[in-house]
Order: sequence, then C-alpha cells, then structure tokens
Amino acid sequence: MEEKLHVVIGLEMHCELKSNSKVFSTGKNSYSDTANENISPVDMAFPGILPVLNKYSVEEACKMASILHCDITKYMLFDRKHYFYPDLPKGYQITQCTRPVGINGYIEYDLSNEIKRADITDIHLEEDAAALDHMHNTSTIDYNRAGVPLLEVVTEPCFRSAEEAIAFLENMIKIYQYTNISDADTKRGQVRCDVNISLANENNEYVTPRVEVKNVNSLSNIYNTIKYEEKRQKNAYLNHTEELVQETRRYDEESNTTIRMRTKVDAIDYKYFVEPNIPPYEISSDLLDKITKEIPELPLSRKQRYLNEYNLTLEDANTLIKNKEISDYYDECIKLGIDKIQAANWVTVNILGELNKDNSSIKDFYITPIYLKQIIDSINNNTISSKQAKEIFNKSIVDKKEPKEYLKENAQISDESYLRDLINKIVENNLEQKQAYLNGRTNLFDYFVGQVMKETKGKANPNMTKEILNEVLNK
Amino acid sequence: MSKFTKEMVDSYADKLLIGLTDEENKMVLDEFDVIDKDIDIINTIDGIENIKPMTHALDYQVIENLRDDIPSISPNIDDLLSNAKSKIGREIEVPKVVGETNA
Amino acid sequence: MLNHLSIEELHQKLIKKEITVEDLVNESIKLSKELQDSCNAFDFIIENPKNYGVTDNLLSGIPYGVKANYSTKNILSSGSSNTLKDYVPFFDATAIKKLNDAHAIIVNKTAMDEFGMGGTGTTCRTGTVKNPWDNTRMTAGSSAGSACAVAYGVYPYALGTDTGDSIRKPAAYCGIVGYKPTYGMISRYGVFPFASSLDHCGVLTRNVKDAAIVVDNMKGIDENDMTTWNSSNINLYKSITGEVNNKKLCYIKEICDISNYDNPSDELVSHLNNFKEKIELIRSNGIEVDEVSIDKKLLNTVASVYVVLSCAEATSNMSNLTGIIFGPKGEGEGVFDQIKDHRTKGFSPLIKRRFVIGSYVLQRENQERYFKNAQRVRRLIVDEWDKLFKKYDGVILPVGSGPAKKLDDDSNTLANGTTILEEHLQIGNFGGFPSITIPDGFINNLPVGLNITGKRYDDANVLNIAYKIESLMDYKNQIAERK
Repeated sequence: MEEKLHVVIGLEMHCELKSNSKVFSTGKNSYSDTANENISPVDMAFPGILPVLNKYSVEEACKMASILHCDITKYMLFDRKHYFYPDLPKGYQITQCTRPVGINGYIEYDLSNEIKRADITDIHLEEDAAALDHMHNTSTIDYNRAGVPLLEVVTEPCFRSAEEAIAFLENMIKIYQYTNISDADTKRGQVRCDVNISLANENNEYVTPRVEVKNVNSLSNIYNTIKYEEKRQKNAYLNHTEELVQETRRYDEESNTTIRMRTKVDAIDYKYFVEPNIPPYEISSDLLDKITKEIPELPLSRKQRYLNEYNLTLEDANTLIKNKEISDYYDECIKLGIDKIQAANWVTVNILGELNKDNSSIKDFYITPIYLKQIIDSINNNTISSKQAKEIFNKSIVDKKEPKEYLKENAQISDESYLRDLINKIVENNLEQKQAYLNGRTNLFDYFVGQVMKETKGKANPNMTKEILNEVLNK
Repeated sequence: MSKFTKEMVDSYADKLLIGLTDEENKMVLDEFDVIDKDIDIINTIDGIENIKPMTHALDYQVIENLRDDIPSISPNIDDLLSNAKSKIGREIEVPKVVGETNA
Repeated sequence: MLNHLSIEELHQKLIKKEITVEDLVNESIKLSKELQDSCNAFDFIIENPKNYGVTDNLLSGIPYGVKANYSTKNILSSGSSNTLKDYVPFFDATAIKKLNDAHAIIVNKTAMDEFGMGGTGTTCRTGTVKNPWDNTRMTAGSSAGSACAVAYGVYPYALGTDTGDSIRKPAAYCGIVGYKPTYGMISRYGVFPFASSLDHCGVLTRNVKDAAIVVDNMKGIDENDMTTWNSSNINLYKSITGEVNNKKLCYIKEICDISNYDNPSDELVSHLNNFKEKIELIRSNGIEVDEVSIDKKLLNTVASVYVVLSCAEATSNMSNLTGIIFGPKGEGEGVFDQIKDHRTKGFSPLIKRRFVIGSYVLQRENQERYFKNAQRVRRLIVDEWDKLFKKYDGVILPVGSGPAKKLDDDSNTLANGTTILEEHLQIGNFGGFPSITIPDGFINNLPVGLNITGKRYDDANVLNIAYKIESLMDYKNQIAERK
C-alpha cells in the first residue's frame, strides 16, 4: 500500500523596508547603480562605530506586527547574530532573537477564493547585508545595501502545498504595498525567503527531516524550490534513493534543483546575545494607537467586500485589489455614488486599458472619480449613449478637459426637424409679435430666440435656431 | 580529567578564523579549567536561574527618543576605501566567494 | 618645565602670554621622545601637531595624549594591534571632536594593551610600557602609555578607556588620578570597543580638578551613541568646592581587612595599613566612613563574571577585523584563508586565547551556564552596590594589592588565587558607576592609590569628595621621579 504523503512548508520571509535612512545608521536607504554612495561609516563597520536605531523602522515593524495580530513587545531589544562572510562587515548581523517585535500572530489569506490562515511564529526587525558582485576570479563588495532595514516574518510549518505558500506570499506582498511599508518588489530582490520543507503522512506525522532552502528570491523560484524538494524527498523516502538528513540547501536557478550547503552537524552556532549598544526602547500604547490608525483597509478585506457586498465578479475583484491606488480609486467612485458594477466595469476595462498603454499610475490619471461620475450620470439619464460616453472619455483625456464640457456640447439640441417644429409652434402662438417684427421691429427677433431657449432650457443650438427663425419669420 | 580537549579548542579557534599554536592551545585549556571552577561558584548561588540577566551597563536606561529617519551625506569614496588594500573602481575586491550571505 | 603644571595654571600663563602654545608643544614632544626611549609609552608621536590657538576654554592650546584605541582623523589609530597597524581613520571619535573644538592639541597616541584586553601594559604592538617611577616595574594597563606619560609630565592629561580597571589601576601604579565617569556620559563613538557593556571613556590627570575640566569637555549626549545621556546640567569643574558636610563613605571589610589574605606580602600589609591610615585622616576631616560587609561568595565571583562577559563581548566586537576594509590584508587563496591569516598574524596570543574563551561561553549549549549566569551575577553585584549607594555617597577602597608589579611577574594569565583586591574595580564597570582613583601614598618608593566609586550620574559628588581627600594628602600634581 502506498503511503499518502503531503508536503509541509514553513516560510521565513524577508522584506526590505522603505525608509529614508538605514535601520541602524544614517546611511541613505535607496537603491543605487553607483556602488558605495549610500554609506555611513557604520555600514562598513569601521572600528568604533555604534548602531543608532531608526524610529521610523521601529514604527513600521510594529505596524506589520499589529497587522499580523502578534503580541507586540513592550520594549524593543536587539541581538547580535554572529557569522563570518564578506558581505557582513561587522561579523555579526543585528537582529532580534530574545525579544522579537511581535510573536504568536496569524494572518488570513485566500487561495482560489478560499480563506486560509497562516500562523506567525514571530516577526522581527534586522539589517540587510552588503551586496556581492561576482566577477571571473573575484567578488566585489557594494555596501549600499548593508544596513537596509529588513522585516523577517517567520511562519509555523502551516502550508500544505506550494500553491498555499505562494498565495500567502502574494497576500503578504500586497499587504506590504498597501501599507507602504515596503515596495516588496520581487524583481529588485526586496523579498527573499528561507523555505523549510519536509513531508508528513496522513496523520500529520513528519516522515522526513526538515530541509531549509536559504535565500530564494522570487515567487517562481520559491514555487519551483518547493516542487523540487517535494519530489526529491518523496522519491528518496519511498524509493530510498538517498538518505534524507536535516540540512541547509540552496536553490540553483540554472538546473532548477536544490544543492546541499551544510548538514546539521556543520550547523552554524550564531552565538546570539543582546546588543549592549542599543538600550531598550519602550513601545508605548500611544505609539501603537498612532500606528494602528495608519493601517488602511487591507486587500483581502476589500476583496471580500467587493465580492460579497458589491457582487462583483471574482475577476473584477482580483483586478481591483491588485494595487491599492486602483482599489482606492474604485472605492472613491463608490463613495461618490456611482453604481458598483458600472464603476467596476469602467475601472477594469476603460481606465486600466488606458493606464496599461503607457504603464502610468492611476494617481496621475486625468479622469478623476468625480469626472467619471459626470460621464456615467449622463449615460444613466439617457443624455448620451454608451458609445458617446466612451468618446467623451477619450476626448477628455486627450484635451485635458472636464467631461462636463463635452457633455454640455453634447446635450445641445441640434436636431433640425425638432427645432423647426418647435419654432413653428412658437411663431404660431405669437402672431402679433411676428407682425410687429415684419413691420420693422427687428429687435423682436431676439424675443423669439429667447422663447426657443426657454422651451429647450437653453439647450437649443443657437446658430441653428437663428437660421430656422429667420426662415420661418420671413416666410 | 578536564572536560576540555585540544581538538575542542582548535575547533573553537577555527570558527573564529584564528589559528592557535600548540602552546597557545595548552594555555587556553588551562584557562578553561580555571574559568570552569569559578563558574561552579556562580552556579551555587541560590535562585540564580530566576535572576534577569543584566545586558546593559545602565540597566534601567530606557531611551526616550529614537533617531529621526533622516539620511546623512555619504563620505567621499576615497575616504571609504583609503584603508582597503584590494579594490576595483568604487568597490572592495576579495577572492571569489560563492553565493550570497551564508546565514 | 611647564607641562607639570595644572590645566588652570597653564591656561593662565597662556592667556597672560607668559608662555606660548609652541613652548608647550615643543616641550611635550621632547619629553615624549625621552620617555619613548626609557619607557616605550607611545604608539605614535605626532611631529607637527596642529595649533588652533588659545581661547577662553581651559584646554585650548594645551597638549594632551590619546590612547591608541581612539579614532583620530588622519592620524594612525592602531588600538595597539597589528590588525590595525596601518589604520588611519577618516573621522574623529566624538570625544576627540569635542576636544578639537576646545582647541586642545593631540601630541601622541599612547601605547596600550592590544585593544585594551590586558591589564599589564606588556601586550602593546610597540612592546612593553615601563613604569616611569621604576623601569623594572609595570605601569599596569591597559591605558599604560597614558598613565606613564601623564606621570612623567609630558602633558597634564591623556585619554584612557576603562573596561575593567584600565584607567584606574595604571593611574594608581603611576601615582596619578584616573577617572572613569558614569557609563554613557562620554560618547564611545569612534573608540575601538573591547566589551561594549563595560567600556568607558575617561581621563588620566595629576589632580582631580584637571580630571573634571577634561571630562566637562568630553561629555555630552551624542547622536552616534545611543547609550549617551544628557548631562548638560552637570558642570564637574564648577561643582568642585571641597565642601563635604554630611558626606558618607564606606569601605568593605572583606576587601580591606588583612585577615582575608593568607600569607600576605609585606607590600600588601603596607598597602592596607596605609589605606587604614588614610581612612582615619578622612574621618578626622569631616567625612564619615563606615565599615560594611558584603557576602564573600559574591565578591569571589567578580573576576569570573568579568572574564566571561568581557571575553564574550570582545570576540563579537572584534569580528570586524578581517583585513578586508582596513588593516593589512591576509595572505591565502580564498577570502576565508585571507581573513584567518590576517587574524592569526595580527592578534597577540593573549587576545586569541580570550576570543576562544568568549566564543566558548557564548555557544548555544554553554550560554546558560557561563554567559547568562555571569550576566545574572553581574546584576546581583550591582544591586549590592546600589544598596550601598542608598546610604553612602561612595565606596572607598584600596587599588590593587600594593604598588606596581615587577615586569617579570606576568599575571595576564587567568590564574587561581586572584584576589578581590585586584579585581574589585571591575564592579564600577558592571554598574556603569563613576569611579576615580587618586594617589594615597608610597610603598618602597612606589606610588599606591585609593579609589572612590559612587552612584550613577552622581559624578559631581564623587569628584568633589575625591578633591577633598586629595587636598588632605601631599600627592597632588606629583611627577614621577625615577629611582
């Protein structure tokens, strides 16, 4: 009988935070193509340097801990984690081990429209290492990245498939972006994961030792890592092709495999101890209040609202929450009273179509929700057709003119037969005035124009009106 | 017999990326025995395990204000690299290492 | 001779133009070279120090010495280690910047036990520092060169650092004043760390008032050192009045009583007798001094607590010494071979041994028994001293077990039977307490000292009491007379 096995995955997700300066130094936190230009002496560990904690990074770390429903530490405290590597100038990384910013949390995420829950072991604030560039025989060190604030979120081994792990990460990335804590740009290496993978049987008993794959840096690589390890471990376990041991591996992109770095026997003892140069910093309830007030409605909650309250399609809901600006735009439309479905259609089809043309941001988009409302209102009170609406939308963008302007033009009555009938009627009802006009009181012409305008609430095409009036009066 | 061995000492030293002569190794072994005895005294103090470790010199110092998030100007590249012996352009050069950080 | 004068006296002469800055600097350099030949006190002598002129500041235009572990911009800063034998910083330590602002003049970098890890002055990159009172004796360390040079009259003061007793012990052995203020009063930014939670900056002078003047100029909150605190309401110099009404000191029976020591040497007996005599002198001049008792078991742990904590922090702090960004580059094929070569060749045997110890006590399986328990006992000891400070303005104790030791008696190894007399100053580092050593007599024509340690942030009180006691004796401003 074949044993039914499933993979069990725990993640350590590292994400670079946005800030002006680094977490323990005043070096600038900014990506640069020019090496070593965003440096403080602290970042290169010159003798005698000391860490100086960045308040903003602490607040952002607390914010994320709060989002992850963690117990937040009363005092910020840091530890040193020791190992030698050329990208780590101090010979230790300042991180949090004794007292992470948050522990025992959870976060909900969704996979194929099913809500799941990931348990969070802890979240801690630490510093990034320098970047190594590899040449033919040598490596070069660029310290711009050294000291960039990192948040590490450690999950329990709570994912049962690569799909779950990726869905969790996608959700986390969106949270980082929505809160503006990080750009979480995987292409720029701002998100990196250590992936812990082992197999369990139907009774949820581990049958293989834990394998940690270090520093995997894109969602597709993380997916491939899990898939590869799942296959490798299953094969090894079932067919005894190799002995499985607790070990640390790395993902090799070229071969799409993982490669052993070290086994448990050679595990590094990081010799953690509390960083004595950073006195404890109290996380006050005032600070926490301030921070939680800054948290916007998160993507999953918005998506639920779009689906369950607004009855949008799954596709539309997903499209709208892809980024916060678009979702904010949509929500603004709803606040203005635009119909939910109509607004969703306009945003996902016309507006995103327009934005995609030149990859521009909705924040800079000319048609604001107020302008969009002008157009949609006109459709709904039958002043314009859908086709006309699309034309006005386009013209408005090109000319940078409020849609109202075109709607005014559009609403003008230029229908000749309608106007002729109306004018005939007016003239017949005012025969005295007609006579007086014909007798030479030419200023009565304006009287007739006025009557037409009065009847059409000012919408009659003035030129056409004058032409027809001339004809009718002088007949 | 001492619970410390020459091999242990060499392995500790190696992890710190320092080499010890046999003579130095022997001295460490002797010192370990002294420290270990002294630590025995500490471990006989009643209720020691319930005391909070003192990690900072000013134990009750809690900082009021943290640094504001304002970057400083990066030092001149020549200053930054002035003490380095191997460099290429704006970067420090080392023999080729594989991969990223090993932590 | 000019440089044996006090800072106040020198300042008056400079202001009145009776002497010039050049006179002082030239004399200082001449004496430096003389002392280098006889006692090996310096890591580096500066040939053309910068003169920023004389101002109202008491330190302006007056030369001073800097321990080799302070970063001095464009001046060799080796920490007395071969791992940094060619390191020239591009920035100043905060304390140096402040003294530059005061227009003080650095004339040399003083020799020290490598990175401060040693108490003898015999493990400097440049060789052994000898005691200026007797060249067959040690100065003790690690601020060996600073103590030697100040005692010799090269200048009125030199900077030191103190992790266990590195300012206060050599001061005693060289017959001068050594003062380590409350932790965080002086920024450590730019000062090479030994054990960060124990490291203090401080000064060696020939009188208490000079120590107050110098620290007034060095102290202050620093945006580069989170452990600094605002001391702008403290003016040590102006607080020195000599008024000691209602002041109370205590000494510890288990440290000061001769009966605690088996087979005491003659020097030890004389030292403790001298101390008791000075206590009587102090009592008869209006300061109350009580004898108190502290659990001997706790006192006996001081040395091992210190060794465990200082070695652990040191091995961490010196992990940046790899020869990649600064220091001589190691040889070898791979980068780790190069780092290992750099460290193996660069560190002295003493330091390497301490690193191994530090690394051992930090290992996961050993942390509880060694490192964390040492941190716990540190708290117990500090709590005891805090209790004393509720009642007393300071604890007064003799420094060391006599005068400076003979150079051939190398006690840098961690040996059995180390007495609490040799180690008690470390308690001042455990608690970050202000602590000052002043000379209190001579034994066999060699100076000895006593120490006063007070409660945190109470530096002004401690210095004022020390000033009063100093004035009761004849050792103020003494210059080493070589025997």
